[in-house]
Amino acid sequence: MTAATVSPSRSRQALGRWKLPIGVVIALVVAYALLYGGVIYQSHVLSIPTTAAKALDQAQQQMINALTIGAIYALIALGYTMVYGIIELINFAHGDVFMCGSFVSWWLLTTLGFSGAISNPVLLTVVLILAFAVSMVVMGVVGVVIERVAYRPLRNAPRLAPLITAIGVSFILQNIVFVVVSNSLINSPQILPNPIIRFGPISIREINLFVIVLAVALMIALQAFITRTRLGRAMRSTAIDREAAQLMGVDINTTIALTFFIGSALAGAAGVVQGLYFGITVFNIGFQAGLKAFTAAVLGGIGNTTGAALGGFVIGYLEVLSSVYGYGQWSEAAVFGTLVLVLVFRPTGILGQQTADRA
Amino acid sequence: MKAIRLGALAMGSVLAFSACSSAATPSPSASGSAAPSSAASGGGLAVKIGIELPMSGGEAPNGVPAANGVALALSQIQVPGFTITINQQDDAVNGVHNANQGAKNMQTLANDPSTLFVVGPYNSNVAQAEIPVSNAAGLMQCSPANTAVSLTKGAAAVALRATNPSQIAYVRVATTDDNQGAGGADIAYNLVGAHSAYVLDDTQTYGVGLVAGFTAAFKALGGTIVGSASPPDTTTDFTSYVTTIQGLNPPYVFFGGVTTSGLGLFRKQMAQQGIANIPFGGGDGISDGSAATTSTFLNIAGPAGDVSTYSTVAAIHDIPNPTAFSSAYKAMFNTDPGGYSAPAYACAQVFLQALKAVGTGVTDLATLRSKIRAYVADPANKYDTVLGTVGFDANGDTTQHTISYYKFDPTTKDWAFVKQRDFVADPIPGLATTP
Repeated sequence: MTAATVSPSRSRQALGRWKLPIGVVIALVVAYALLYGGVIYQSHVLSIPTTAAKALDQAQQQMINALTIGAIYALIALGYTMVYGIIELINFAHGDVFMCGSFVSWWLLTTLGFSGAISNPVLLTVVLILAFAVSMVVMGVVGVVIERVAYRPLRNAPRLAPLITAIGVSFILQNIVFVVVSNSLINSPQILPNPIIRFGPISIREINLFVIVLAVALMIALQAFITRTRLGRAMRSTAIDREAAQLMGVDINTTIALTFFIGSALAGAAGVVQGLYFGITVFNIGFQAGLKAFTAAVLGGIGNTTGAALGGFVIGYLEVLSSVYGYGQWSEAAVFGTLVLVLVFRPTGILGQQTADRA
Repeated sequence: MKAIRLGALAMGSVLAFSACSSAATPSPSASGSAAPSSAASGGGLAVKIGIELPMSGGEAPNGVPAANGVALALSQIQVPGFTITINQQDDAVNGVHNANQGAKNMQTLANDPSTLFVVGPYNSNVAQAEIPVSNAAGLMQCSPANTAVSLTKGAAAVALRATNPSQIAYVRVATTDDNQGAGGADIAYNLVGAHSAYVLDDTQTYGVGLVAGFTAAFKALGGTIVGSASPPDTTTDFTSYVTTIQGLNPPYVFFGGVTTSGLGLFRKQMAQQGIANIPFGGGDGISDGSAATTSTFLNIAGPAGDVSTYSTVAAIHDIPNPTAFSSAYKAMFNTDPGGYSAPAYACAQVFLQALKAVGTGVTDLATLRSKIRAYVADPANKYDTVLGTVGFDANGDTTQHTISYYKFDPTTKDWAFVKQRDFVADPIPGLATTP
């Protein structure tokens, strides 16, 4: 396929390649220092003396808390940003796709008869793979169906029409779960045993490690898919100029459906993670999570997958940071205040809109 | 607020009338064989009692047992000359209590001329939205479960009844959070033996007020508050709060809030991070029943989070005749009563007694409504209820000031009654009581 490529010049690409890892390391160090400062600050406010070692330990656990919740936000945010990137639709139903994913995983695990931690590592691995595979495929298909039924007929309609439809789809998904499955909070099996794992000075609970590693692995896989494969190139070219891509032989409908499949599958994965990490789900959990993830996507630069991932981590971090400093009730103000500040000084988000000319 | 199973609670009821003499004529089916209740002794003026409670979703364990208490009372007690039916409203939106919905429901009830009295609401922030409506309409409402002090006392309460400042149209049979907070502090300091505590609130009317009550009483007892936090009621990720608490390692954690604000989830995450051994207490916001019932606090907290967990109910546990009430309730609804079933039953008894006292010969519904309001608002009137003798002071607060204590029981997977304490007869020394 001779689809248009967008690659910037080779040197800029090389620079970009180094900018990100360096930025991540600097950001992690600063983030950790701020958390440490928060722990020390709190011990002064409460006049409870602490030792440096204890404070470092606290800060490290808070960093893990932030990375874990950030990873969940990031997984959801990827779907928002991919869909926006390719058809410029803010898919408000995406948070509810995440919610449905958590219910698929709950259904599967309870149907299989699991209610608590699985100690046999082989069985655990098999069940985890099954849970993720089923939830991701089911939600991917649901995403494709939503696109086919609710958005494709409106593809050339004024922008507002699909936006309203998306809100409608969101309510439909919520109401289906509300009526058919459960109208209240339900417990989801937490099948991961939860021992503390130590790597030298760092100790982390298995569930946190699992969530962070899984999310980062999925993000790397997604990045590789988008940048290295023909289908990924088709997606990028469709995002830049749909008609030109079509002229070059890209099947637009398939490409857009594929985008929905991948984005929704990632939300499905986040749904499984939600059940494993928090052990609960409820029919309206998608609203709050979707709002945070949408904010993450905008913060990072909507349409930009790396930005969405970054935005998710930033938002998870801000929530934890405000709680560490003792202002947990201001966590949402901190998140949206930061969003406003970033947009004032960088209207395209932290990393900017990679995919072209959206303004 | 929340109900728990107080199992026994209730009691008396039914038969209580004997005690409740003034309330009504004894029901023919007094022994509570699930009288299919009829509500009405045929004929007579058709009037309604409103029920305004959260009935659906995660709130069902709260609202349904209380609504059942009202239905049970109507099935057992008749008032000659009247046919009484229920006008049921639900203030839960998407499964969570909603203050705006409560105010709308109260307006709906006020607009129905045949609704003479309302039992509800359950949540204090809903009451905050409803009191101005019932006050303007002159429609008496009786809450079985509201505990926030600011609903009846102080400048905030006066502002709520601005339309008719001299007319009380809101009474409650649950006592207030200054007492309930004192109960929580009594548990922490004297029962558990913790001399310092970490406190959290869910930023809502009830949670903030309860923590204020706890803090004042805990300090009066000689305890220290080592730290506090206010996670918003939409929080699901409490891990950062739990980590902070882990660092401070306090001997007790008290959380003012309700199950739908995430308290079960908080307790679960304490367990997940390995600090379930720190004793945990809450108010009636977590007293919502057994671990076997979906979406109750104990159900969400899970087995690891259940140890050393305490709660309270802002009403009397040892009611005068518990067996009669619980067996009649069980016969009618095939389940044990909740913690606020008996208080709701008592609210209905207040209405029935008032109707009997002032209703004879009155056929104009508007007159009837205003006479009932005036009767219930009069502090001189006393009621023989399932809770014992109840009266209301000039603010509309109950004259009973008893808090019941509960502890999680691992064998029944449910709350077990520990003791009850009357905070007027037996106050915490040195603690200024709200007048």
